[in-house]
Amino acid sequence: MQVADAGAGGVAGGADSRDGHRGLGSPGALAAAASEAPRVPGPSQVSGPGGDASSTTGRPETRVHVFALCVPFPSNVEAEIACASLAPDREPHGSVVKKELTVTGSILAIRWRAENPRLLRISIINFLDQLSLVMRTMQRFGPPVSR
Amino acid sequence: MYLLLLAWLTLGSHCHWPCFWHMEARSAIWRHLCGLGVCHPVGCAVFGPGPLLGLYEGFLPGDTARHHRAVILDLLEEALTEAGLTSQDIDCIAYTKGPGMGAPLVSVAVVARTVAQLWNKPLLGVNHCIGHIEMGRLITGATSPTVLYVSGGNTQVIAYSEHRYRIFGETIDIAVGNCLDRFARVLKISNDPSPGYNIEQMAKRGKKLVELPYTVKGMDVSFSGILSFIEDAAQRMLATGECTPEDLCFSLQETVFAMLVEITERAMAHCGSQEALIVGGVGCNLRLQEMMETMCQERGARLFATDERFCIDNGAMIAQAGWEMFQAGHRTPLSDSGITQRYRTDEVEVTWRD
Repeated sequence: MQVADAGAGGVAGGADSRDGHRGLGSPGALAAAASEAPRVPGPSQVSGPGGDASSTTGRPETRVHVFALCVPFPSNVEAEIACASLAPDREPHGSVVKKELTVTGSILAIRWRAENPRLLRISIINFLDQLSLVMRTMQRFGPPVSR
Repeated sequence: MYLLLLAWLTLGSHCHWPCFWHMEARSAIWRHLCGLGVCHPVGCAVFGPGPLLGLYEGFLPGDTARHHRAVILDLLEEALTEAGLTSQDIDCIAYTKGPGMGAPLVSVAVVARTVAQLWNKPLLGVNHCIGHIEMGRLITGATSPTVLYVSGGNTQVIAYSEHRYRIFGETIDIAVGNCLDRFARVLKISNDPSPGYNIEQMAKRGKKLVELPYTVKGMDVSFSGILSFIEDAAQRMLATGECTPEDLCFSLQETVFAMLVEITERAMAHCGSQEALIVGGVGCNLRLQEMMETMCQERGARLFATDERFCIDNGAMIAQAGWEMFQAGHRTPLSDSGITQRYRTDEVEVTWRD
């Protein structure tokens, strides 16, 4: 069983690379990264693109970082299997980092929202490790038996 | 009729007890015959983490998870091959739902869920502590023992009552194995093959009993106070020549084991129990077994213990508990299959016992 290459799929949508977030180059994964910043204004703000929480008045600004990942699978069945394998475990910092998995056709889409960029990054990296394991499992022990 | 389980274990609850320092993980395949027909529970056991851990450190969750991810698929295939089975022969998939370290638990759970879906088999999330108990009961033949579960991550006294494994007593802070392992680090005792084993060997050469805080609180025990005390006192006492490292090992064992014997005895008296069973990695310790045996003999009770193949975390115990659960009709829906770092032994309804 082969997972489709990024090239074959055709990259959909712009991967907005503000604030130094880079899209992933791994095969079969399309990534879009964006940083939305609904700012809480304070009298004076000195903050860099990373969402620096300190300011001279002590009022932290709140930024919500969003990261979206689309993973193509050979079919809807495999995408659903991957989703059901990866969705049940709760995020370790669930109040700060939230993620949502959905399947549309043969694509598994994951969308993160987080206030803390470091925890977001850790969550993404851990997820990719587990995703890779699920894919390797499907490659070695698949294809799915017919129901 | 072939009834098969495939189970993995994470070393999640073994937070401070590295077992081996070799590059490969050993796999243990275990099978037994029982009851009606022929039943082949198969367990994959991962003994020991890979090369990533240092000689004097504890387990790190990220490294442990990485190790599991690297070996688990080979181990799974090896288990099937050695057992001479195909995926179609498998009846259900049992995995460790908790308690333990998050990342390693997830690494195993995602594989369990994936193969359960690929092969269209039911899934069973098993409580790690109950795995120890069911394996202990199976191996030793104890019918309804008071269980002393002692490892790097857990210290509990458990007895079965009305479909629950009730916790009669436990540590209010750290596990006894954790205390021993961290003490080993203070004295720079090697982790090869394990800190607890090395402490045990050194204790045999100890001659002087150093007085240490003895902290039994009702049905419960506490170890963090003893640990802080001995961490402070050790350097001073060794420097003045007041005692040797062997004396400290001996004293620590005698103290903590006496505490465990006391709370086990208290539970046995409460339940009117005539059987005691020791499970968990610290259960390998022969001095602990000896002290428990003395207490049991004084009460006219019988002690059951296993050797290191079954005391220490292993995949077969998850298979065994999963087997009991499967037979009793338990199933874990995918949506409920998330791992949990905190999973109390008494949360599970033990429907497979009367």
